[in-house]
Amino acid sequence: MTSRRRWWLQALVVLIALTLLGVLVNNLTVNLIRTGLGLSFRWLVRPAGFALAEHPLPYAPSDSYAWALLMGWLNSLKVILAALILATLFGVSAGAARRSVNPLLRWLAAFYVGLIRQIPLLLQLLFWYFVAFLGLPSAPNSTGPLSSLLRLSNQGIELVGVPLSVEFSAVLVGLSVFSGAAIAEVVRGGLDAVPRGQWEAFRSLGLTEGLGLRRVILPQALPAILPGLSSQYLNLAKNSTLAIAVGYADLYAVSDTTITQTGRAIEGFLLLLLSFLLFNLLINGGMQLINHRVVKGRQRP
Amino acid sequence: MQRRRQLLRHLRRHPLDSALSLAIVLLLAWALWATGQWVVEVADWRVVSANLPLYVSGAYPADQRWRPLVWLGLILTLTLVTLLWPRPRSGQRPGPMRVALPWLWLLMLPLGLAVLAGGAGTGLTAVSSRAWGGLVLTLLLTGASGLLALPLGVILALGRTSDLPVLRHGSRLYIDLMRAVPLIAVLFFGQLLVPLFLPVELEINRVVRAVVAFALFASAYVAEDVRGGLQSIPPTQREAAAALGLNAWQSLQLVVLPQALQIAIPALTNQAIGLLQNTSLMALLGLVELLGISRSLLANPAFIGRHLEVYVWLAALYWLLCTAMALLARRLERSVQPIPRAPGR
Repeated sequence: MTSRRRWWLQALVVLIALTLLGVLVNNLTVNLIRTGLGLSFRWLVRPAGFALAEHPLPYAPSDSYAWALLMGWLNSLKVILAALILATLFGVSAGAARRSVNPLLRWLAAFYVGLIRQIPLLLQLLFWYFVAFLGLPSAPNSTGPLSSLLRLSNQGIELVGVPLSVEFSAVLVGLSVFSGAAIAEVVRGGLDAVPRGQWEAFRSLGLTEGLGLRRVILPQALPAILPGLSSQYLNLAKNSTLAIAVGYADLYAVSDTTITQTGRAIEGFLLLLLSFLLFNLLINGGMQLINHRVVKGRQRP
Repeated sequence: MQRRRQLLRHLRRHPLDSALSLAIVLLLAWALWATGQWVVEVADWRVVSANLPLYVSGAYPADQRWRPLVWLGLILTLTLVTLLWPRPRSGQRPGPMRVALPWLWLLMLPLGLAVLAGGAGTGLTAVSSRAWGGLVLTLLLTGASGLLALPLGVILALGRTSDLPVLRHGSRLYIDLMRAVPLIAVLFFGQLLVPLFLPVELEINRVVRAVVAFALFASAYVAEDVRGGLQSIPPTQREAAAALGLNAWQSLQLVVLPQALQIAIPALTNQAIGLLQNTSLMALLGLVELLGISRSLLANPAFIGRHLEVYVWLAALYWLLCTAMALLARRLERSVQPIPRAPGR
């Protein structure tokens, strides 16, 4: 294309985009004036007036909307971080199991991945909440050798002395099981990227499957796994917003309540967008750190 | 005999592995037994069997229920035809039926909309989209938003790989922003904000708003998949097209895009399956598609506490739909192959 034609084409696109944007903004202004709402963020300092079932820092309904949103953000962060760890555990185990020498184990892992990935996450979360966790007995099992480690009841879960709410547990387990299946596929792809000869080599050296996997195969598979893994982590963070379905007070649930109360949809959406950009930055940053270390580790003689 | 001896030797040599196998077998046996017992003895399937019409078409008027049923019947027939029609042998051009199949599938969406909505021109009573629900609504949401997202995504992908900076950065901004936000937020604000951005007189209904929001969201993901396809086309293809005297548009339309899309088909299939699963999110926003209708059924005092039955039934249904979609996509992929593979490849 000649440079003049390129210029005209781009100018045309900009013109169309600006016109479209202008019409939309014009409609928005008309609608906002009609409903008597201007864009403003002053409502953030007003008292929220709603209670939160869970808050990592002290919170009362008389606290501001901004504080309530921060609690939601922290709750999201809490469940995302815990689910990241648990999902990685599930995913790596299932992914490695799909390449195990034991045919039954291979089959079991394939069954897990095939089943979980074909059922909507929302349905799974509802299952974990209403059936698995609310279906627990109402009094904790105080007898038995496990009772000091894990206490289960439909009032809440106590893991090694740390109390967890039923909502948090349901979201955590649901998210981890779902993302674990996706991560298993990533891990399997990464393992397949390691040449067959490497598997045969460690087996012929007499290393056990576990040791060979840890010392020979996984280090070589990691560079292929990490990009897929970070995109699954980002998905997990985004999927955590479905926590609203089981009543966990995550960022999206708090935003939803805030918007319903104040009618500040656009401002609320902007804040939510910013928060998720922040989550994404955090995850991407962390993954890049790991990636850096992995690549550096490989360069060692 | 030989196999048995091999198995015994394996068991002796690897006691840990054998213990693991035994544990898995026991676990599976227990799971099968417990599930079987629950399905036959404990579960009360009336919550499903008494409400089948609701699962199929929601609150669709009872005397008009044959309409969604006819449409679902057509889809089922087409599914069977697609799966069972003999495949072309490698190297041969697909027969006329195979070529027609993708078009028949495309036809299903407008047909479904016409049959369900009725009204002027169809000779059927008009039924407001507010009364649509269940499986029919799930399928329509998936089909309509998928069909909208595909061209949008292709345009975005072309913009993203264009060498014009305005197009490239503009598409990139849109794709990155859309991929950064959770779908539920996009859907929620689609319901809430779309009316704010439109003229006061223009009022669009909830189903259309949902479809628009789904399509806008999915197009960003489609764009990334198509971009992957575009990037895997070697530059020699464009050069060859240019050498044949094709202009930029012809080269794109005849050479690059068909190949890129074909490469992107598996990824796009995954997106379509994801879209089908994600339509369940509309249950949180008040549409009564499959999950939504189940939630309202579970709120009915007659079926209180029957969560597990409903969830197992829904899971089976979604599993079946997703598996069927994956199979169909694999079959249709062969019919739309723009370049028949040479025999022996």
